[in-house]
Amino acid sequence: MSQSVDSVLLKDETWERVDKATGGAAAPCFQCGVCTAICPLGLVKGETISIRKIVRQAQLGLPGWADGLWECTTCLWCESRCPHEVDITKAILGLRQLAWKEREVPEGLPTLLWDIYFDGNAWGRPPSERPLWTKGMAVKEFSPEDDVLLYVGDDAAYDRRIQKVARALVSLFEAAGVTFGTLGEREPSCGDAVRSVGHDEYAAEIIDANARLFQEVGAKTIVTVSPHSYDMFANLYPNLSGDFRPLHYSQYLLELIEGERLKFENELPLKVTYHDPCYLSRRNGICDEPRQVLQSIPGLELVEMERSREDTLCCGGGGGRMWMETAAGERFSDLRIPEAAETGAEVVVTCCPHCLSCLEDSLNVIGKEKLRVMELAEVAHLALQSQAVTSDVASGRS
Amino acid sequence: MRPLHIIACVKVVPKPEEVKVDPKTMTIERGDVRSEINPPDMNVLEMALTLKEQHGGKVTIVAMGPPLFTPYLRLALAMGADEAYLLSDRAFAAADTLATSYALAQGIRKIGEYDLILCGEESSDGATAQVPPGIAEWLDTSQITYVEDLEVLPDSGMVKAKRELAGGYEVIQVPLPCTASVKVGANEPRFMDMERKAWAEADGPVTVWAAKDIEVEAEMIGLPGSPTIVDGLAQAEATERKREFLAGTPQEQAKALVERLRSYL
Amino acid sequence: MTKSLYGAQDASAIWVYLEQDEGRLEGVSLELVGKARELADGRGIPVVGVLLGDQVSDLAQEAIAAGADEVRVADHPLLRQYTTDGYTKVFTELILEGKPDILLLGATPNGRDLAGRIAVRVRTGLTADCTDLKLEEETGLLIGEVTGFGGGVLAYIKCPDNRPQMNTVRPGVFAVPEPDTARQGKVVSVPVKLAEEDIKVQVLEHVVGQGVDITKAEVLVAAGRGCQGDFTLVNELASLLDGEVGWSRVPVDEGWVSRDCMIGQTGYVTRPKLAIVCGISGAFQFTVGIEKAETIVAINVDPDAPIFEQADYCIVDDMFNALPPLIEAVKRARGGNGGR
Repeated sequence: MSQSVDSVLLKDETWERVDKATGGAAAPCFQCGVCTAICPLGLVKGETISIRKIVRQAQLGLPGWADGLWECTTCLWCESRCPHEVDITKAILGLRQLAWKEREVPEGLPTLLWDIYFDGNAWGRPPSERPLWTKGMAVKEFSPEDDVLLYVGDDAAYDRRIQKVARALVSLFEAAGVTFGTLGEREPSCGDAVRSVGHDEYAAEIIDANARLFQEVGAKTIVTVSPHSYDMFANLYPNLSGDFRPLHYSQYLLELIEGERLKFENELPLKVTYHDPCYLSRRNGICDEPRQVLQSIPGLELVEMERSREDTLCCGGGGGRMWMETAAGERFSDLRIPEAAETGAEVVVTCCPHCLSCLEDSLNVIGKEKLRVMELAEVAHLALQSQAVTSDVASGRS
Repeated sequence: MRPLHIIACVKVVPKPEEVKVDPKTMTIERGDVRSEINPPDMNVLEMALTLKEQHGGKVTIVAMGPPLFTPYLRLALAMGADEAYLLSDRAFAAADTLATSYALAQGIRKIGEYDLILCGEESSDGATAQVPPGIAEWLDTSQITYVEDLEVLPDSGMVKAKRELAGGYEVIQVPLPCTASVKVGANEPRFMDMERKAWAEADGPVTVWAAKDIEVEAEMIGLPGSPTIVDGLAQAEATERKREFLAGTPQEQAKALVERLRSYL
Repeated sequence: MTKSLYGAQDASAIWVYLEQDEGRLEGVSLELVGKARELADGRGIPVVGVLLGDQVSDLAQEAIAAGADEVRVADHPLLRQYTTDGYTKVFTELILEGKPDILLLGATPNGRDLAGRIAVRVRTGLTADCTDLKLEEETGLLIGEVTGFGGGVLAYIKCPDNRPQMNTVRPGVFAVPEPDTARQGKVVSVPVKLAEEDIKVQVLEHVVGQGVDITKAEVLVAAGRGCQGDFTLVNELASLLDGEVGWSRVPVDEGWVSRDCMIGQTGYVTRPKLAIVCGISGAFQFTVGIEKAETIVAINVDPDAPIFEQADYCIVDDMFNALPPLIEAVKRARGGNGGR
């Protein structure tokens, strides 16, 4: 709060706009404070987000009311413990939408939305470069007879590190004889970045246009790289064709394994732990599938961290945080890396581009040489390699 | 203090990475090229809208180009501008900066009284930066180029602006009316309001003017009005570089490089 | 056609704007005098420098040494600082009086500010950012070469009828001529008709540092996205090689540095003997500023980075891995030379 005020005249409109923006989500709140007490921000900063304080300030129309609103990563930890099942995320995102209307948003976020608008991706990179991640691989345009539409997403398309995940997936599909295609240059941004920074109205436009595009191209089963895209498709997109079936790749890989299209024959003697992405575990209850994929790889030993499954600790990348500055020392993933190392694992496996980026960044800073971060797809792809390769990996030579 | 009338000049340009030249015909392939609002013009819009918020008044968009510009002008309305004028006519086409600035100036004259004309410092396609001073001269207004920051001083009828110079800056003050060119990155352009966007698309006032709708001399617009002509195109010759990739460990590469750079050490 | 105020038949000589600030001539002005000299020599055309300012006549000699035959000096207290109003008025009067055939100006911010206004006032054509200038054989018309889209296309622009034929050129495109102090030339003081009411601009602050002129650097070490804001190694290498440090657009956009030493299409065109380019992908908007270097070394973690197409020696690695051993190797090599 940057200004102090002596007294404020309470106006009905200022009050009502908050109610409208949050859709009344904050109404069931009886101010117990559990959310505020357990918010993971308390682990890295002195202060957690006090959602009730923000709501109050917004209701009173106080300047700077939106400060602090942007720290939330929408990890849902608070919601999972709220005794009144308040839709806290809805309140936060609703207030963010109000902040857009009143132009109280952090620097860099308007640029993010323009990048998506003009360039079709959250990184402002040329749309014509979207398919470049496929270099050297045979990836074709999706046709309705294909088994799946692979929805690559902005991160896997443009981020050099995450491109490797998409490429690993392609190799896995090829090994399993899956017929697939992508939308190439036409692939739109899924809208998660827009939704997570709270511009609900723009997100609605994107959802509407994309849902029609998927219907137009005849997409039924759509496999995503990111749990955030999955969450958008599964929970926010309308099922226009009636048989729209979005899956996160961890779910699809399990389907392939269970259908015996994908088999791991070689031993991959690695000790791994698994970091559950919030948007798979807490948000969508997808905890078993990634583990079952890992456990189907012979020789792989899976050890769990204490905060696992629906109790996972957020990596810090959700809620639009990937496009905002997080001060060093305030990153959740800084806490997660030592936790992973403590299990004695050689690899912490995850399956979300945000988690991957955050964990690797923290690992670089903290420097636990024995530990590596890998995506589930990369581990699975590795397991398909020759025995020589897998032994190399296991002994840390590659 | 009366509210300000700000004219924001906007150009729609091809996305730079998409423009391709057919090496055989030496013409620009305009086919499927994606377009965008010229980046510094986004900064113009933000500056204009901020001034409108501070002083009250109106922001009018002016552009010269083909009908494909129209949806982009509606984006500008969605951001908060009040109305848009598009000078669109075959007669305006193929204009160099003299003819372009003349046509825009005449369009602005027709719109009526204004206080401030804001333009992007240059366009990403032509990149001459000549249109803003040209407009200023045709309309006989004061001129400030390369603006990073601009203030209108309502009581004195003056504009105070910080301009970027090579390796430094300048702060100058000039009387209204004033034409200013705005540096790319001078501010962060606000995103559109979606409700306003719906209005802009359905009912936003976009007026299209042909040459006959404004007062222009036929021989001063378009190709006839352009003293400069393109006399030919050529493929640029790439300098043949060695492109030698050095191999080995970083130490080995460093050694190999230093060997090759002996004469410079 | 919008008619210019005088015709080709009355026009003669190549004029060059001698831009000065705080009593110092801009390097680009001398580069243009040198080029004008080259163009003029084949055809016996006079090269005239035009100098505006307050008590700046001693700068005329520099222009003559660079190749001007004559310098017209408009000296007046109201011209001490550049203002659009004052300079456009005085320059236009000089043009209408002297009727140059060609007028060249450096594409500095104020050069462009002035050129754009003059061109409309005298109703003539202005071609921006020429990368080369030639006189057409048969007609003697000036042909300005400009780089078109993507840098792969060159366009040739002419101004057949209107006068003067005006062109701007970016600093560093042409070489600074070797000064010939023995050269003789005329210095003509021109009367200046300027009153306070003519200038509506108030200059409140004018801050121009004694910045580094990277267009003159013989060795340039440039950094881009790959440096992540950390210029320590780049500075060290540049220092060891007696060079300067420059950067691409990314560090400026990221807020790590100012535009001062930005290389590229909207920055400076440099022509060093040696350029070491670190963590820069090599989009053409950057490479147009470095491609004239005699030798280019590129260091980039991405083996497919376009910069490698434009480099003589290529190292595929993160610059933070590649630079420390390179710095050591350079130290050893120079140590052997007894240092410098």
